Order: sequence, then structure tokens, then C-alpha cells
Amino acid sequence: MKYKTKSRHIFILMSLLLITSLVAACGGPATPAPQAEPAKMEEPAQTEESTQTEEPARVEESAQTEEATTEETTETASATDSTPDSGSVELPEVDPLAVTGDIISAGSSTVFPLSERMAERFQDEGYGGNITIDSIGSGAGFERFCVAGESDISNASRPIKDSEVESCQSIGREPVEFRVGTDALAIAVSQENDFVESVTLEELAMIFSTAETWADVNPDWPAEPIQRFIPGTDSGTFDYFVEEVFDKDEEPILSAGNLQLSEDDNVLVRGIQGSPYAIGFFGYAYYNENQDTLTVLSIEGVAPTGESAEDGSYPLARPLFIYSTAGIIAEKPQVGAFINFYLTYVNEEVIDVGYFPASEDTLSVAEASLLAALK
Amino acid sequence: MTVSASTRTIAKTAAAAKSDLHKRLRLGESFIEAFLFFCGAVSILTTLGIVFVLGKESLLFFTSGEVTLWEFISGTEWQPAIGRFGIWALLNSTLMVTAIAMLVALPLGLAVAIYLSEYASLRARSILKPVLEVLAGVPTVVYGYFALTFMTPFLRSIFGDEIVQIYNTAAAGIVIGILVLPLVSSMSEDALHAVPYALREAAYGLGATKLETAIKVVLPAATYGVAAAFIVAISRAIGETMIVAIAAGAGPSFTFNPFESAETMTGHIVRISGGDLSYDSIDYNSIFAIGLMLFVMTLTLNIISRHVVKHFREEYE
Repeated sequence: MKYKTKSRHIFILMSLLLITSLVAACGGPATPAPQAEPAKMEEPAQTEESTQTEEPARVEESAQTEEATTEETTETASATDSTPDSGSVELPEVDPLAVTGDIISAGSSTVFPLSERMAERFQDEGYGGNITIDSIGSGAGFERFCVAGESDISNASRPIKDSEVESCQSIGREPVEFRVGTDALAIAVSQENDFVESVTLEELAMIFSTAETWADVNPDWPAEPIQRFIPGTDSGTFDYFVEEVFDKDEEPILSAGNLQLSEDDNVLVRGIQGSPYAIGFFGYAYYNENQDTLTVLSIEGVAPTGESAEDGSYPLARPLFIYSTAGIIAEKPQVGAFINFYLTYVNEEVIDVGYFPASEDTLSVAEASLLAALK
Repeated sequence: MTVSASTRTIAKTAAAAKSDLHKRLRLGESFIEAFLFFCGAVSILTTLGIVFVLGKESLLFFTSGEVTLWEFISGTEWQPAIGRFGIWALLNSTLMVTAIAMLVALPLGLAVAIYLSEYASLRARSILKPVLEVLAGVPTVVYGYFALTFMTPFLRSIFGDEIVQIYNTAAAGIVIGILVLPLVSSMSEDALHAVPYALREAAYGLGATKLETAIKVVLPAATYGVAAAFIVAISRAIGETMIVAIAAGAGPSFTFNPFESAETMTGHIVRISGGDLSYDSIDYNSIFAIGLMLFVMTLTLNIISRHVVKHFREEYE
């Protein structure tokens, strides 16, 4: 009898071992790796901890507790400012120390560095909540804002499309636009590239579509294959480039050989650094950060600078926006406070981040629409 | 009627007698049994769930009218945004990366296995085996950056910057080879070790050298185990994601040049899903079709390897 129990124990142990080893042997290789790993990829793109992507209950709660303080500021605002349409708009003063509650934003990888800087400054000056900024591309940002309704602020490097406004309205959101700056889309090559300094728009179209080698575009250039590094099809930068250079037709650029697409601009930068025959484009800030290894090209003889972006002589200058709604601002006062802070101080930070300031006029239009939304 | 009734009584008494003699209901025991069954069921249900989701979403993809099955399995251009869904652009680079990985892992892994099983002293074994296991424990993202920041510059210093692009399948393939090396060597070593010692003694008795014994006697006897190791390694290499996502490139391209960039199926899924696809778009459904393709490939390889292992087991029992 004693022997029997012992052998049964051994049997159980053995079967346990067998099962675990079987699971380990068969389960391991059979499980398709991609199921689990996409999540990892997203991490580097997000600087803020995004653990609280979906906790509406908590956010609302803290929003309610703070409602009193922000209501005060709003009231003072309407009191001091009697004429909102008079051009010079006075936004109410924001005290970041008094603002709590989380803010969720997502969208353009081009606006990302600017929003990140403003969020950092907001937090440095005392804001105690969490701002999530996901760098996923303008289109994907509107997807989150207008379809899923998950984000409070949508960053965009192009104006919102009519179809996106419609889907926003269908979930009860009326998007309000705030212009925060100007970007000059930078066409960049490696510094080892010594043959091209300036291109025309036609040459640009050839480089990013049918031409196989540089010599196909211009006989003076070497007969080496062109390596192209461009932002992914979800990004506003891609949309904008296609609109300006290819007249909204995606076909030619996506049919080009030797094409690498990535939503991560650092992947593009690294790729362009890798070869003198590589070329790519992205927001000016990414060129600004990598000036020591990249060269920016002039287009039609105009180099991207503050003036040429502002007066529109640089052909690929474009506006940068953030979007929210009056409903969200009313429901979450911290969102209104952050946008207020953003618009008030953006021109002090924008050049340092690598973009160009929006003119006073456009900025005061944004401030006026914020005031309207705050009421 | 009476017959069946009586048999039932007999069966009942038999059961009662049996339980009296052997089996008392023990709560702990039945709990353990239920738990073990649950563990087994979980893995099966997970697999069924994966197959169901993959199948459902892929069906949406193929019935969308934007792509035919024939276009999918014969096309060589993959660019979802403009409606080009030729799986070969991705499949080709997956196969190429896998082939390169196997070129590294199989000879090296087999050599390591033969050394460990036939030649190594106890001391060498006790050092080498843990080191190999450490290699298996390195996170794949680290391997990815190892490929990008070490292997690619290394290849460029040999073949020249002009030939080797910054993102290329060769570097990714070689590093995946290093990744699966421990898998190949430890499985092959087990197989070699399982060969009865009498075979070696017989070979020595006939005057064979150590090398001759290892290659001409032990290795053929362990063929099936080694083949199973190879197949598992291949399916691991096909499914590897992080390394190719970082080092192999981010654009689907149909090329046979290992020094050019190309995107594998797994790499493409990672990049596309990183951009937050909308749920009803064709791009979103297309990644399930790729996933299904990958699943079928690795499943087939696993089934083959099971057969092979079964065969091997019958050989020496």
C-alpha cells in the first residue's frame, strides 16, 4: 500500500513534468510572435506613460473636484475681456498649479515634438496630472478623436477633412481648430551627398516616383539607385506631400521602388544618414535635430527658413494644428487650461523645437475660438 | 431487458468494489486533476480562438472585392494604400531571412551539438551549455539593435557602403541565425545523446576514429531528432518579428539581394499596426490575411516536425 501511494505521487509528478515540457515545446514555436509584439513597437513612440489610456471614470472624478477652481478662472476671463472680436484677444491667465486631471492627446508625429515641449513646460510650472501624447500620424489621430472618441486633443499637420468632421459630429463632437505654428517640410539628404543642393518641384516628383537612378532625373547626377525614405501612409506629412507634389494621387509615390515607409521619423533619419544616395522628407524639427549629419535641400531655389515659411515662398510650408471640442473643454477643464497655456506660450518655444511661429493674426484667431469654447 | 439490467448490476457492484478497494474521493486530488485539465484546455482553446479570428478577418479581406485570392498569392507588389496585395513581396523576404538564418544556425548548431555530445570534456560542457542558454535568453529587441548597430556596419566594412544598405535582410538573417542557434544545438545534442552507447562502442571496435564515429554512425542514427530540431528552428525564424522590424527595413520590396532592404510578413504587421489602423479598412484586414499565412506556414512545419519526432522515437525503443 505504501509503495502504491509513492508510485502514484511519482506518476503525478512525471505527468506534470511531461505536460509542462509539452506546452513549452509545442506552445513556444507554434505561437505566432506578431500577436504579442506589436505592443512593444509602440512603446518608443510614446514618451508619456500611457497606462491610463482608458480610465474615464477616474478622469471625470478629478475633473469634477477641480471644476470649482477653473470655473473661477473662466469667470474672470469673461469679466476682463468684454470685446472678444476686437483682434487683440486676452486669454485668462492659467495657473498650472491649480490644474489637475489627465489629458489624452494623439496624432501627428510632426506636431508631437511641439506638444511634448508644451506639456513639459506645463508640468514644470506645476501641473500635476498626466498628459499622454501618442505620435501616430494625423489620420490615426483623427481616427481616435472622431471615431473612437478616446482622445481629448488631436494633433494634426493638416486641416481636418470634411469626412472626419462628419464622423466627429456623428459621435457628438464638434471639432474646434487651433493653429499653433508653421512647419516647413524638409527634403533631406545625407551630408555625404555632394551633388544635389536644390531641386525643382518637377524634379522632386520624379525623384519620389518613376526615376530609378539619380541620373534619370538630372544627367549631371550619378547613375546610382535612389533610396527613398518617407513617412507612412497614415501620417499628415505623407498626405501633405502627396497633395502638393503629386496632386493628391498616391499611386506614383507608392509604386516607386526602393521605398521605405515609417511612422517613426527617426527610422527615416537613420536611413537617410546611411547612404549618400538616400533622400527623404519629414517635419523641419527632425532636420533641425540632425543638422550635423543631414543636408536640407532648397526647393525652386528657396531654402526653408522662418521668413520663407511665413510668407509662403517656400513651397512646402504648412500649418500645424491641435483640435479639441467645446464639449470636452467644458467637461474637462484641464484640457481648456492646457490649450490656453499652449496658445499663450507656444511662440516662446516653437523655434527651439524646430518649427516656425504662426503669425500674430492666426494665433489670435485661435485664441478667440478658445475663448468662445470656454464660455 | 433482464440481461441488460443484470449487467448493469454487475457493473455497479464491480464499480463499488473497485472504489472500496482503491479509490476514496479525495478533494485535493480531483482539484489537481481539474486544474491540469484546465491548463491543457486553455492552450487548445487559445489556438482555436486564434484560428477563428484569423479566419474571420481574412474572410472579410478576401470577400471585400478589392482583391482576389489569385492576386494575393501571385502578386509581387504589396502596397495596401493603392490596392496592391501581392503577398510575394513580403513572403519572399521572409523566406530569404529564414534561409540566411538557417545557413548560420544549422551548420553551427550541428557542430556545437556534435562537439558537446561527442567531444567535450565535462568541464567544457559545464561552461558551454549555460553560455548557450544565456544566448537564448537575450530579448529579441536587443538582438534587433545588435543587428542594426553592429552586424550592418560589420557587413558594410566587408562589402562596402555602396553595396550594403543601412537596413538589409542579410544582417537580420544572420542575427536570427544566432538567436536560434541555442535551439538547434540543444535539440540536436539531445538527439545525439539519445543514441545508444553500444553503437559507438561497435564503431570503435571496428577501428573507426572519433570523427568517423560521430559523423558516420551517431549522426545518421540521430537524423530524425536533428531534422526535428531544424524544422522547429525554421518555424521560429519565420515567426521572428522584432529583429526584422528593426533591422530589415520598412518597405515591402520583391528583391533577391540580401544587402537591400525588404520587409518580412511579421515586420509589416508590426509597422502597419503601429500606425493605429481603422477597424474597417482593407489595410486592417490585410494584416490578418498575412497572419493566417504565417500561421499556416508554422503550423505545417510543426506538424511535420511532430511526425519526424514520432518516427525517431520508434527507431530506438
